Amino acid sequence: MLPSISAGIWRGAQHILRTSRVAPRRTGLCTCAGIPGELCDAGTIFALSSGHGRCGVAVVRVSGPASTTALRCMAGLTHSLLTPRTALLRSITDPQSKEVLDRGLVLWFPGPHSFTGEDSAEFHIHGGPAVITAVLQALGSLPGMRPAEAGEFTRRAFHAGKLGLTEVEGLGDLIHAETEAQRRQALRQMCGDLGRLYQDWTSRLKRCLAHVEAFIDFSEDELIEDGVLNQVDTSVCDLQAEMERHLKDERRGERLRSGVQVVIAGATNAGKSSLLNTLCQRPAAIVSPIAGTTRDVVETALDIGGFPAVLSDTAGLRDSPDLVEREGVRRARERVEQADLTLVVVDCAQLPSDAQQAPAFLQGHLSSILPTQERSQTERCLLVLNKTDLVSEEWRQQLETELRRSSGLPPVCLISCQTNEGLQDFLAALHSSIKALCGDPLSGAPSLTQARHRAHLQQCVAALSQYHRYRDTDLALAAEGVRLALTSLGRITGRVGAEEILDIIFKDFCIGK
Amino acid sequence: RGRGRGRGGVDVRVRCGPISDHLARHKYDVIVVGGGHAGTEAAAAAARVGAETLLVTQKIHTIGALSCNPSLGGVGKGHLVKEVDALDGLCGRAGDWAGIHFSILNRRKGPAVWGPRAQLDRELYRQFIQSELLSTPRLTVLEGSVEELLLTEPDPEEPGHHRVTGIRLANGSQPVSASSVVLTTGTFLSGSLFMGQTTSPGGRIGDAPSSAGLSHTLRERLGLRVGRLRTGTPPRIVKDSVDFSLASLHAPDKQPTPFSFLNTHTRCKPEEQLPCYLTHTTPGVEKVVRESLHLNCHIQQDTKGPRYCPSIESRVLRFPGRRHQVWLEPEGLTSDLLYPQGLSMTMPPDVQLCLIREIPPLHRLFFFCMHRSEMCYGVQYDFVCPTQLSPALQVKSTQGLFLAGQINGTTGYEEAAAQGLWAGVNAGRWALSMPPVALSRTESYIGVLIDDLVSRGVTEPYRMFTSRAEFRTSLRPDNADLRLTLKGFEEVGCVSSLRYQEAVRVRDSLQDALAALQSLVLPTSSWKKILGDVGISETKNSILNGMDLLQYNNVSFEMLASAFPERFSPHLEFSQRLEIEAIYRPHCDLQRKEMERIQREESLSLPPDMDYLSLPVSLSQEVREILDRVRPSTLGAATRLQGMTPAAVVQLLSYVHQTGKKERRSHRNQLDQKGREEDGCTRNVVLPQ
Repeated sequence: MLPSISAGIWRGAQHILRTSRVAPRRTGLCTCAGIPGELCDAGTIFALSSGHGRCGVAVVRVSGPASTTALRCMAGLTHSLLTPRTALLRSITDPQSKEVLDRGLVLWFPGPHSFTGEDSAEFHIHGGPAVITAVLQALGSLPGMRPAEAGEFTRRAFHAGKLGLTEVEGLGDLIHAETEAQRRQALRQMCGDLGRLYQDWTSRLKRCLAHVEAFIDFSEDELIEDGVLNQVDTSVCDLQAEMERHLKDERRGERLRSGVQVVIAGATNAGKSSLLNTLCQRPAAIVSPIAGTTRDVVETALDIGGFPAVLSDTAGLRDSPDLVEREGVRRARERVEQADLTLVVVDCAQLPSDAQQAPAFLQGHLSSILPTQERSQTERCLLVLNKTDLVSEEWRQQLETELRRSSGLPPVCLISCQTNEGLQDFLAALHSSIKALCGDPLSGAPSLTQARHRAHLQQCVAALSQYHRYRDTDLALAAEGVRLALTSLGRITGRVGAEEILDIIFKDFCIGK
Repeated sequence: RGRGRGRGGVDVRVRCGPISDHLARHKYDVIVVGGGHAGTEAAAAAARVGAETLLVTQKIHTIGALSCNPSLGGVGKGHLVKEVDALDGLCGRAGDWAGIHFSILNRRKGPAVWGPRAQLDRELYRQFIQSELLSTPRLTVLEGSVEELLLTEPDPEEPGHHRVTGIRLANGSQPVSASSVVLTTGTFLSGSLFMGQTTSPGGRIGDAPSSAGLSHTLRERLGLRVGRLRTGTPPRIVKDSVDFSLASLHAPDKQPTPFSFLNTHTRCKPEEQLPCYLTHTTPGVEKVVRESLHLNCHIQQDTKGPRYCPSIESRVLRFPGRRHQVWLEPEGLTSDLLYPQGLSMTMPPDVQLCLIREIPPLHRLFFFCMHRSEMCYGVQYDFVCPTQLSPALQVKSTQGLFLAGQINGTTGYEEAAAQGLWAGVNAGRWALSMPPVALSRTESYIGVLIDDLVSRGVTEPYRMFTSRAEFRTSLRPDNADLRLTLKGFEEVGCVSSLRYQEAVRVRDSLQDALAALQSLVLPTSSWKKILGDVGISETKNSILNGMDLLQYNNVSFEMLASAFPERFSPHLEFSQRLEIEAIYRPHCDLQRKEMERIQREESLSLPPDMDYLSLPVSLSQEVREILDRVRPSTLGAATRLQGMTPAAVVQLLSYVHQTGKKERRSHRNQLDQKGREEDGCTRNVVLPQ
């Protein structure tokens, strides 16, 4: 078995080698172009750069000065063993526990002859989520390493003058897509207990920083109560202890299902639950002609053409006086917000009788369902017109003609869950959408987000120790530690600006002119 | 330049009479309107960069007057004073001349946040500024009131865009023309004064209100957005009536530290310094405020005030049941008045007296102790929303018009002085056809101040805090000269060669000393033998250099110098700076990458007339609207805008990158053409010889 896997890995490596050679060297660019974005600071970054789904091999990329450290600590490649651009079969071990995580190929690309122009490394490992997570976490535990931000590899390549202008134009879209995927992934994780925990830490840390800053900026002129700093001391200790405990806790909290998140949404009685049942070929959800039958989210894991997907059926969207149903609608909207792909189900019989008006009607309908920032992204939505068995053949053909003519609508499928008419076409469309989404390593992989969070939390804890180190000798440097900690945590929960800190200061202390 | 000469008693009016005919016909490079902290720094800076400058002010006598508190510096503000001084401005040296109580605030909190501060003698400060302006070459001072700003008709190609051509004075005389005008009118733009229920027009008690013409021009002709802010002052208190036994004494530093990098000592001798006193409000104060609310129209109009508490009324209303501090500060060596910092209020005079007498040391105060001009009053005034300015503090839509000080929504002498200096520098450069210069947030508090103003705007009077500077550990009061003086001479042209040579000497000596420290590498055991028990940890086989050693609390540079006199004693002059450098160096190194990134982004300028709404790149409508509203001048400023996405920044970058080359080429052509025209005139004169 091993030889065949190695062959697979080898093909992956060659592919990467080829693409990295193709990237043109345009050093002229870097003289006048700065790196954009706020996270291009120094340091070594890593990320999973292959997609997920049915893949035997996963590629983890590392770029930055500590790449050789990663190769030494995790693949045992000391300086004398490093050979540029050559694939070596090595045991990949955890740098702390020395436990063998996997056997795979490792490659070293010394700068400037690499995709990013920096020293880079690649780990080609087995594609299982456990192995990927273990390798990513091992990388994150090395000093100077952090998970890459959206598009950061490409940005570094751009900065090193490795990209042509046309590629740079595409970079904006790429970063947009990646940040969107990360945002959705984070949303999925942040709405639960974990999210509340991180938010609580952030607000406590903000308060700590505000109080240290108030003490620095105002205590000489204004009456800042004694003991403000003592409270901060306690809070910082508590936070550090809580984060460390959290990092050690082997229970990772609620296990998030891996796979592309597909959400079925639409008005009541459009046939959403029927669609779910049709797709999973069993009655997973209760179906009835009564509007508002589905009230909670019904979730099923599915394999669609070899790609993992989590299909969620949601309550029909309508204003309801019923408390339980209202909660169901709120959850439905939340799911749509977090979805990688939304199937908007519409009852054909509810469309305007004049087929010419259908596109405009559907457009309006979509904007009432999809969150604002996604209305323009038609590739993340499929429009399912259900119950074709209830309309006349003639009207249906008119409708199809009109839909072909109109632009700006997502792909449309006409089906009948009752008669299974059009189901094959719909499955093909669904398959191609999911396949496209799976090419993006960020969609549907909660372990990646967890690895990111872990690395940021570790940095946060480390920065807080700077507070204690300088607390009594240099408060400016102590505050710097809290600031850095907040920046690290802010990469999970959102950036905190100076004005927010001032808001807290002015709220908690009486500061004069 | 007569530094260190005796001054005082210089009668400026001798040199600067009312407008004469030859003045009116004269064309100036720069006209500065207003003689406060912003105006004086602006006029002096414009003259320093080489521009023929005219300073117009309502009363020459009040040039350099401290119209509010008699103090300079503090935490954050002291940083600004050091930076203004590093760029050869006036206020640092004026503070050293006029200071009567020096202290470094935050002494125990780390050198990055030390706040040099001084109580000032109002009279001495005014005298210094006035005599300094008089001895500044290329600077003329004129008493008068500006009636109108002269502008070209709007460019038909760019509607709403004007160019400034000069000013017209109120006495109806001929216009005075200039290439640049700096407005530093403080609280006088549609200012009104409040006391109790009475309201009168004006920007400061005792001064005539400035003409409505200027305000009208800014709003109506230039279409600038203005907002309204307010401020106030406390009353002055007669020293003799204060019961000092009920207040606690605050002594100054035993050895005064001068603000200026050029001064080794202050005019005031250590033992001549005057003390301050600290006292607190009582529940009686709160009672008076609550009972007089109906008589207080300034407070009644409190719709959405600032987040901080500008007056004693807002303090007790927002934080009831607490004690609030009141500082009693000396007004001068010979003044019989005290300034009660923290007692700004706007109630009717009789209520003011009731309130003051609720404060224990002030219980003996009688009404006749206070003159009208020494009562509290509030001021409401217009400010120009500063997002309409470029980082050079020029109004984006009006070439040659610069604004500085409270007119931009800031509060405080130091904030005004810093903007004044920078506006003056750029006004001078504009008039002399030199490109504008900007200071980055990564190199100075002045850069932070200006960037915050022009890219974020203000909703309350803007005041400097150290927490606003993200690179606080690098932007320290001690190294302002290294950060700014060299650049100020080499790139900006606002620093005298005398100061520059001193800064170069300091830089070179510090470099030598740091190199000497780093090259002295010894094993821990040897260090212990030499220095004794200074807390060096017991780690075996470790070696440390001199810089490492200085990071220990118990090790001073003097100790190293006495152990290795031949190496270190030549650098004893800089002991303190070296110790600070040793502690902060590792942290600054960590920040450097991030600073470099910001500087790179700030070097990519976005054209001011960019049509964001129809720019042919993929940007969301939201981002387009943000960009269109704020019109950031560099990619760096755009990145910091709220609501910008990393993707949008990349799109802008690639767009700017493509158009950048074209723009630069056409700009160079324009400059060449301008240069040729001017050269042409000179050549016509020269050729016949």
